[in-house]
Amino acid sequence: MKRAVIARGVLGAALMIVLWEATARGFHLPAYTLPAFSEILLSVWDQRASLLTAGRITTTESLIGYAFGCLCGIGLAMLVIVLPWARRVIVPVLLAINSVPVAAFSPLVLLWFGIGPSSKVVMVALAVGFTMFLSALAGFDRVDRRSVDLLRSFGAGPVAVLWRLRLPTALPMIAAGMRISTVRSLIVAIVTEMLGAQGGLGWVIYQAVVQIDFVQVWSAIFTASAISLTFFGLIGAAERRIIFWR
Amino acid sequence: MTRSGHAGRAAGRLLFGLLVAGLVWQGAVVGFGIRPVYLPRLTTILAAIAATPEAYAAGFLRTLAETLIGFAAGCVVGVLNGVVFFRAPKLRDMLFPLFVVSQTIPVIAFGALVVLWFGNTLLAKAVIAFYLTFFPVTVNTMLGLESVDPRQIDLLRSFGASRRSLLWRLQLPTALPQIFVALRLGASLSLVGAIVGEWFGDTTGLGVLLLQAMYNENVVGLWAAILCAAVLGTGFYAVISAAERRLVFWGAEQ
Repeated sequence: MKRAVIARGVLGAALMIVLWEATARGFHLPAYTLPAFSEILLSVWDQRASLLTAGRITTTESLIGYAFGCLCGIGLAMLVIVLPWARRVIVPVLLAINSVPVAAFSPLVLLWFGIGPSSKVVMVALAVGFTMFLSALAGFDRVDRRSVDLLRSFGAGPVAVLWRLRLPTALPMIAAGMRISTVRSLIVAIVTEMLGAQGGLGWVIYQAVVQIDFVQVWSAIFTASAISLTFFGLIGAAERRIIFWR
Repeated sequence: MTRSGHAGRAAGRLLFGLLVAGLVWQGAVVGFGIRPVYLPRLTTILAAIAATPEAYAAGFLRTLAETLIGFAAGCVVGVLNGVVFFRAPKLRDMLFPLFVVSQTIPVIAFGALVVLWFGNTLLAKAVIAFYLTFFPVTVNTMLGLESVDPRQIDLLRSFGASRRSLLWRLQLPTALPQIFVALRLGASLSLVGAIVGEWFGDTTGLGVLLLQAMYNENVVGLWAAILCAAVLGTGFYAVISAAERRLVFWGAEQ
């Protein structure tokens, strides 16, 4: 059964690639409509050095921002749980900031932090931080009221309740948030690079768009997708391993 | 309490909240002496909007149109996709992994291509907004349809219900809370798609206002555009949530 599902997935992917190649070659589509699949792969291979450099810049920015975002988001959610009075102040402020589409902050952050890597790290941390804060808080709140009361009756303080009860309960939601955030972190880094940067995949894409080099746009997208899939896969694998009880 | 009285009180509380937020903003900037490079006074920003209201109104409406068209198309296609995948599991096994992969693609990079294909039109931005919306809606529709209790299906079947009436009377209503979770997510995503789509060159829209203000290092203008985007985002989200409370009156998962 399981094997059949995988086989169908592979079949679907193979069919799509064949269809893509056949459409592009069969109809002699110009590159600005759709370059052939093989053509893009060749171009990625030809420019592997420059794409690797750009990919490394973007990956570094995303990873640092991702780490910061996860720490701040989860940490803030813990703080808010331990100190209920802080919750009434912090949560409305954060929700108000979060109501702005995150991309709208990119120009502002670029003005503040310049066009170097730091502005991308800040944007990624901001986007990941919000996602993580909201998922962690939702996870902590999911705890059964009676279990909290039981632990309390044994003399456990708020910190002990957080550590022994809330954190294990919230772990699946935190992990799901971290998995979704992987993709978000790369997207945000690339978007911010498009607005202004000294290097990185977003910068490559923007340059290629300006120069109307379509194969180059596709090559950068392929590279970005490969990084994004790897990151997503790694976090997903870690999730399955750590949260074994699901 | 009547429905209108309830809504009135909620609106009052919202107005009060906004007033307090505005006062805190203004007070913090004046009180702590925050430099205008970081956060200008709220009154300065509002004055900037009041000085050229046409530009902001035009940008607001343009972005709103892009977001709404993309969102509506994304919802329709997403629900249809979800139903088709639910009905044809083999097709789902073939296509769903591709869908997942397509979503790990940095969508915005794809946005550059969409603008190249459709030109700098309203349609191009709507397509990006659509692309961001349809995936969560597809997934949640599918999950919602699958979560129907098989005993309920058997019961309706025993009364002679056809597949179509099963779908309309049981499966879709059961999936509705899940679908609305995706719609709320899609509401914010489609707005991001529209704004970023405008960065690839356009003349009106909130994204354009943001970009122009950045190039002129005009922090007040930047904050004015951010404020407009926040109003648009919050308003859209509120409308979806209100529709959810109305339609899923038996209690949605929040």
